[in-house]
Amino acid sequence: MKLRTAKFVVKEGFVNTYRNVLMSLASMGIVAASLVILGFFWIITVNIKYNTQFLKDQPEMQIFCNPEMDGHQLGMLEWTIGRDKRIKEYEKVDKKQAFEKAKEMLGDDKDVLEGLDESFMPVSFIIKLNNSADYGEVVEKYKNYPGVDSVRYSKKAIDYINRILRGLQIGSSLLIAILVVIAVFIIANTIKLTVFARRKEISIMKYIGATDWFIRLPFIVEGIIIGLIGAFVSFLALFIIYKLGGGWVQNDFIMVKLVGMKDVAFQLIMVSCLLGSLVGASGSIISIRKYLRV
Amino acid sequence: MVEFKTVVKKYSNGTVALNNVSFNIKKGDFTFLVGPSGSGKSTILKLILKEEEPTEGSVFVNGYDLSVLKRKEIPCFRRSLGVVFQDFRLLPNKTVYENVEFAMQITEALPKEIRRQVPMALALVGLSRKANAYPNQLSGGEQQRVAIARALVNNPSLIIADEPTGNLDPETSWEIMKLIQEVNMRGTTVIVATHEKSIVDKMQKHVIAIERGEIIRDQEKGQYENEVKDSKICC
Ligand SMILES: Nc1ncnc2c1ncn2[C@@H]1O[C@H](COP(=O)(O)OP(=O)(O)OP(=O)(O)O)[C@@H](O)[C@H]1O
Ligand SMILES: [Mg+2]
Repeated sequence: MKLRTAKFVVKEGFVNTYRNVLMSLASMGIVAASLVILGFFWIITVNIKYNTQFLKDQPEMQIFCNPEMDGHQLGMLEWTIGRDKRIKEYEKVDKKQAFEKAKEMLGDDKDVLEGLDESFMPVSFIIKLNNSADYGEVVEKYKNYPGVDSVRYSKKAIDYINRILRGLQIGSSLLIAILVVIAVFIIANTIKLTVFARRKEISIMKYIGATDWFIRLPFIVEGIIIGLIGAFVSFLALFIIYKLGGGWVQNDFIMVKLVGMKDVAFQLIMVSCLLGSLVGASGSIISIRKYLRV
Repeated sequence: MVEFKTVVKKYSNGTVALNNVSFNIKKGDFTFLVGPSGSGKSTILKLILKEEEPTEGSVFVNGYDLSVLKRKEIPCFRRSLGVVFQDFRLLPNKTVYENVEFAMQITEALPKEIRRQVPMALALVGLSRKANAYPNQLSGGEQQRVAIARALVNNPSLIIADEPTGNLDPETSWEIMKLIQEVNMRGTTVIVATHEKSIVDKMQKHVIAIERGEIIRDQEKGQYENEVKDSKICC
């Protein structure tokens, strides 16, 4: 296609959008609304991931030894752990550290430890696995290791969060898919109206020898304009919602830390624009198909 | 230039619009296609434009065998024709100038070419002064002139007109017909489907008469009806 044809096509697209200003506005509103819902879910997903990150950083597994375990056994255990290929890294928590930690955790009640010293505290190893699927085997192996008292693991919590996250992802993907289909359908119908109003023009164009693409492209441009403006509006709306709603959430739930808008804005606007223009273009292509058969 | 070989056209609802039609139109000819309503005139023109496919037989236009023309090649083929309709079919949102310009834009013509050809075509049909008017601001005759200018502007070798004067008063009809004749004298082959007996009789051109889908007469320098028959029916 030649440059002047491209110019012509884009100009026609803009003129048509403007000419159908009411229908175009309605479609833009619907695209914007769909994208707002979509973006809202996306932001929630991002924030949940962000806020549960610390759970993943927590020790996956901790091996507690008997407080009476002797140095030789301890050495054997540490040596075994150090050589275990399934274990990515480990950290030894000795009696003294454990005592400090206990005091710290008890806080104001630390006088219960009055008169006690660190000797009754167990030595423990915080372990990170290479592959969390191995945790069953590892637990089994060290649980019965001489001198080991117990093996604790937070695998369940992690599993739980992973499951929630996955559910949320599947749910939002499903929702996104449904919203996209609805938006395509609505844009297709809007453009179908404009195509229908201009079917005579289309047949005239065909009679004087316009190619299908020459006829189609201005409509596609029209769809993309609608989609992009809708995307931009949705971005603004989300930005405002996030600004206002974000402060409220952070005040009332001290635990929650929100991802900064700056960090998500770029991705959000890219995804919105991409989806918006895709939805617009496919809506146009669907609606014009029938009228090209002259 | 245009040749029909034993063409049968049966529409999907069973109507046989053309039954074994054969004729030949030579380059530079001015041909009238005459016949009563429903006789199949528009069907012939639709076959020439490849808007419809013949059920049997073959159609040749401008050296193209239309039965082997691919869908993708149709736009290119149609650009070698000019079409004029009874209802003008101008784009309502474009000015006179833009309507004519549009026919060149779709061929991706050079802007320089467009700026030269469009005023020339408008001058030929005598509408230079109305270049910036919109179709709804023009009389029927003027709109038809714009349509003719649009049909001409790409220098087609063949112009097809389906009842170009059907919506016009007799005087304007004459002007339009004379304009089409002028186009023909510049070397363009012309096919006009019409009911207008007076015009056909006066102009003495090639006449193909059709009735109920069959050619009943094909005559150089002919008239709307046979003279003998004419005198019988005329009151
Ligand atoms: N798309 C179609 N589907 C079915 N039948 C059709 C179709 N187009 C035309 N016909 C039929 O074919 C026959 C010929 O129609 P055509 O339009 O060629 O006549 P015409 O000579 O142009 O008539 P008029 O002078 O009224 O324009 C008619 O009986 C008409 O009803
Ligand atoms: Mg007709």
